[in-house]
Amino acid sequence: MNTTSATLAPVFTFLEHTLTTAQTTFNKLPGSAVIQRYVKSSHQNDPGRTLLELILVIFAIRTLLQSRTRADRNGKNFIQFSEKEIDELVDEWIPEPLGNALTANEQSDLASAPIISGPNGPKPKLAATGKNALNLASYNFTGLAGNEHIKQRAIDTLRKYGLGSCGPPGFYGTLDVHMDLENDIADFLGTEAAILYSQGFSTISSVIPAFCKRGDIIVADRAVNFAIQKGIQISRSTIRWFDHNDLNSLEEVLIGIEKERKKRRGPMTRRFIVTEGIFQKDGAMVDLPKLIELKYKYKYRLILDESYSFGSVGRTGRGLTELYNVPASKVDMLLGSCAIGLASAGGFCAGSRTVVDHQRINGPSFVFSASMPALLAVSASEGINILRNTPSIFETLQDNVRAARAILDRVDCITIPSHPASPIIHIYVRQPQSHQYLQYPAPISASSSSSSAKHHHSHHVSAKDAVRDAEYEVEERLLQEVVEETLSHGVIVTRAKRLKGQEIVEPRPSIRLTLTSGLTKKETEKAVNVLKTVLVKVLSKRR
Amino acid sequence: MALSKSNKSSSIFNKKRSSNATGALPASAASYLSALSEADASARKRNVSPTSTPALSLSSSITSSSEDTILHEPEYLRDPLLASNKDGLLLPARPPTSEQVFNTVHTEFGHCADERYRTTSQHKLGTPLAPHVEQDPPYYILLSTYISYLILIVLGHVRDFIGKRLNPKRYKHLMPGGGYAPLNSDFDSFYTRRLKTRMDECFSQPVTGVAGRTILLLDRYSPDYNHTQILTGTRTRALNISSYNYLGFAQARGPCADAVEESIKRYGISSLGARLDAGTTDLHVVSEALVAKFVGMEDALISSMGFATNSTYIPALVGKGCLVISDEFNHASIRFGVRISGAHVRMFRHNDMRALEALLKEVISQGQPKTHRPWKKILVIVEGLYSMEGTLVNLPAIMELKKKYKFYLYVDEAHSIGALGPHGRGVADYFGVNPREIDLLMGTFTKSFGAAGGYIAGSKALIDVLRVHGHSGAYAEAMAPPVLTQVVSSMASIMGLQVAAGDTTTTGNGNGIVEEQVYHHPGPAPINSIPSWVHLPPALASGQEGSSRLRRLAFNARYLHNGLIKLGFITYGHPSSPIVPLLLFNPGKMNMFHRLMKERKTPIVVVVVAYPATPLVTSRVRFCVSAAHTKEDVDCVLKACVEVGDVLDLRHGIPVRERWSLEEVVERAVELGTME
Ligand SMILES: Cc1ncc(COP(=O)(O)O)c(C=O)c1O
Repeated sequence: MNTTSATLAPVFTFLEHTLTTAQTTFNKLPGSAVIQRYVKSSHQNDPGRTLLELILVIFAIRTLLQSRTRADRNGKNFIQFSEKEIDELVDEWIPEPLGNALTANEQSDLASAPIISGPNGPKPKLAATGKNALNLASYNFTGLAGNEHIKQRAIDTLRKYGLGSCGPPGFYGTLDVHMDLENDIADFLGTEAAILYSQGFSTISSVIPAFCKRGDIIVADRAVNFAIQKGIQISRSTIRWFDHNDLNSLEEVLIGIEKERKKRRGPMTRRFIVTEGIFQKDGAMVDLPKLIELKYKYKYRLILDESYSFGSVGRTGRGLTELYNVPASKVDMLLGSCAIGLASAGGFCAGSRTVVDHQRINGPSFVFSASMPALLAVSASEGINILRNTPSIFETLQDNVRAARAILDRVDCITIPSHPASPIIHIYVRQPQSHQYLQYPAPISASSSSSSAKHHHSHHVSAKDAVRDAEYEVEERLLQEVVEETLSHGVIVTRAKRLKGQEIVEPRPSIRLTLTSGLTKKETEKAVNVLKTVLVKVLSKRR
Repeated sequence: MALSKSNKSSSIFNKKRSSNATGALPASAASYLSALSEADASARKRNVSPTSTPALSLSSSITSSSEDTILHEPEYLRDPLLASNKDGLLLPARPPTSEQVFNTVHTEFGHCADERYRTTSQHKLGTPLAPHVEQDPPYYILLSTYISYLILIVLGHVRDFIGKRLNPKRYKHLMPGGGYAPLNSDFDSFYTRRLKTRMDECFSQPVTGVAGRTILLLDRYSPDYNHTQILTGTRTRALNISSYNYLGFAQARGPCADAVEESIKRYGISSLGARLDAGTTDLHVVSEALVAKFVGMEDALISSMGFATNSTYIPALVGKGCLVISDEFNHASIRFGVRISGAHVRMFRHNDMRALEALLKEVISQGQPKTHRPWKKILVIVEGLYSMEGTLVNLPAIMELKKKYKFYLYVDEAHSIGALGPHGRGVADYFGVNPREIDLLMGTFTKSFGAAGGYIAGSKALIDVLRVHGHSGAYAEAMAPPVLTQVVSSMASIMGLQVAAGDTTTTGNGNGIVEEQVYHHPGPAPINSIPSWVHLPPALASGQEGSSRLRRLAFNARYLHNGLIKLGFITYGHPSSPIVPLLLFNPGKMNMFHRLMKERKTPIVVVVVAYPATPLVTSRVRFCVSAAHTKEDVDCVLKACVEVGDVLDLRHGIPVRERWSLEEVVERAVELGTME
């Protein structure tokens, strides 16, 4: 076959493409006019010099590019070996094991994770004992778990759609029930549109890279949840942190960035504020009106993760926007989880039509993953219906929250970082006055490293971190003891599970309570009292 | 190029549509089946002469109107539209004989009783995997493809240039405004706006009902060149050769669906939280044990999303100082996981074992860049069956390399699990490789099992590490019980269950003797490996149905693949692969192929893929055959390909004199479906 023309054609395509790009980007670059003028005038003076300079520029670009590509055969770093030497090196090489064995503590924690026999809910049966327990560990804020109406709708759906959708949304995986749920969510929140992802946890780590690219700026709370951390990391954007739930600190960071930009006269880039409604790590709540004010003032887009506030706060569970009475359309990307908020599965991102449609092509876990089973989508839609029509659910939930806080706030061996209205309540061990650590100490790499991909702090722990780690280890064991003892008294609570060594900031160990309207106030009080007794008993031992 | 908007298709079927009256449906499998056999019997009695309206005479086995399964004969016969079986999708082409009792709904899972249309999916042991040869199309096809793209790109830029000046409002969202940079710049979105939009008619088609042998499309049209799509409210039933429903377990009726219904009653919808946070139920434990047995590993871990299985467990395996060697065509989820792991990545040419070996030599001898320290570990990640190419990984060759170069091996079996191997256990089964020699087997349930989510399997110690250090265990929602039940019931029916007095070991515990069945890979599963409330009827419990599905899939895959080759089309991939890509090349042909297939008397829906999912020139249509397809369905696809292929000038494969006619291909199907 005549390959020359065949290979030439893409070259043309490519040339055409690059030229247009080069020209547009060049014209967009600030100061491009200056360069143009410079080249023109220098060319007038001495055409030979232009050529020389051009060669120099090309050379510079080449070296720049080369240092970026990986060690290559012709790279400077390449060592030439003979076949024999290579074989020897191959023979000598001993890899580390694929997984580092679990520590004894990790093993015992894993073994003690409760197994539920039968349905999970407010009072599930434990497989280990065969007894029922009060559940303050599972996400069932609104008590939708086990709802007979939802179950019946799910069965009807099963009989019409089967279970799996057997395809990604792009290829015959978009069912009418998915579109219905998307409309229901958008309608419920009051946004233009919404997009459904098939797992709650993977939603935000896909939404962030769909919008934030290299060179864009993300300003994020230091204590954002793990999924956000991963989304930020994969986006390769420039990241600036602000102090946990401190909007003054946020404003300082925003001012700083603005100053820097003015100084450098940099081009306009996309800028995002990323934070959570109710924080997964400690139950704190963000001041949404203030946040929105800042976002408009400094012209940022807001990505708000409401995974733990959607379906848990507000008069009908619409989340922070309802609680603060702010139109949801003011949040550019509002994320929530149907798994956590609606006791179903999946996650969503609500926003303008442009924002949503953009994700349908650019959200990795939307594009490259099968859509959610129909019956789960229908269950979520039914959940929304129920929330809409039953505000009493949230009255019960708030009653329970108040009841729990009334008991816990009086226990003096603990501190609670969570917002008083948050149905997620985190419990820290109160630290002796002498060495109190900040809740979220400044991370080691707090600076603007865009290569946040490589934060393995454990490699260079400072002495202070070592002290903190040891302290945390002690607290963790104490809390684990509390969890296990509480369980033996028929109440399920859980230590907030963390990925040690993988988080940007090592979070302080805590017990996480998740309240539910599925329990009465009496039952909630009973359960929290059990916990209180155990807390007092175990923590007093420490002193 | 076909760029105009799609027109409303209106088949007669769509106009008449019953409401959502599901009341008449028998709920349980038992009553469903008895209704079926009754219908069968009365149809046979009626015995209409086959020459008149053959479809009608076979009517009674199981048929379904658009969304509701219609079992009520009188209504059924009163419905002239159904009885005419106009699109040929509702009723089987061959009447069931008196011995044949089909217990599936024909539109979900086709009736095909002919035992000749079966084959086994297995690699001939000891022979090397034949290298994949890519056929080149004639030179003018390539040239016109390049020119097409060139025209598209130039035209796109011209339109942008003029549009921005004449109609700046339409470009507002792409331009900086009000102090905000655009969410998407005009340059970044060029491909989407100017190329993909032209083909949007082929993508994101909304559907309803079961993604089985047939699928119901929600008809739509675009009044403004694909910027908006409007649903017309009508529906079209089409033959579905696009869903990843390899074993046909996407079913709303049948024992698996019955088990799922039971589990909804017992467990509800959700398990309410992450696995380590009280989100683990006994069903998770049982399912993981069964999955481990199925794939032949010591332990397995289930995650609620296939994508997340890769993206959240790979970072727990490798990190800084480690190297990942990845096939260039690996799935986005693998790249995602590798990128957030912080490990160094190198890629090798797709399935090229020599390139892999050369790379291994280089990286081990050179060590880490700059420091030249040895790598902590090297993880090679490959897929079992590549979803765009239909190629199989050369597992035997990789196992050889693994011995010498001591890397760890991670095989993503998203498409191969269930779909390959004499026992459906994936590529290892297909090649006769001992799965325990592979470090990690990952796969998804979205494909062969008609469920959702994924698993990762390996040694117990390693899986425990993933339970604790993987991101999902602490944070992601656990898999929903109904989904787990679909996995368990479909998996158990592929494996079959051991008969009561099987191979047992006797263990004494406190209060007596407990007999426990032993599992031998890849044999049937011990009875107690599924929950006691999952009742599989004998056909499934014996593994007979599972094995029949496996062999039907293997036959259909080979028949379609070899048939297309004999008809002169250019295809990619391995003949055993249920993914059969047919090359189209020109971007304009994608739209046309898609539309011509959909607008046939028997509508067929296909998936077309183009750049950036494939290299620029090799745009293709990707068929996914299923065990649910009958031989006649494959005939129908082949016939459609010939007719459409002649219109679009697609037959550039084997030389004309070696080609077979369509009649010959259909005639010699058994030969084609069973040949290597
Ligand atoms: C190789 C591979 N891995 C993983 C996935 C993701 O699986 P799921 O759709 O279940 O999220 C896919 C699906 O397309 C795939 O092809």
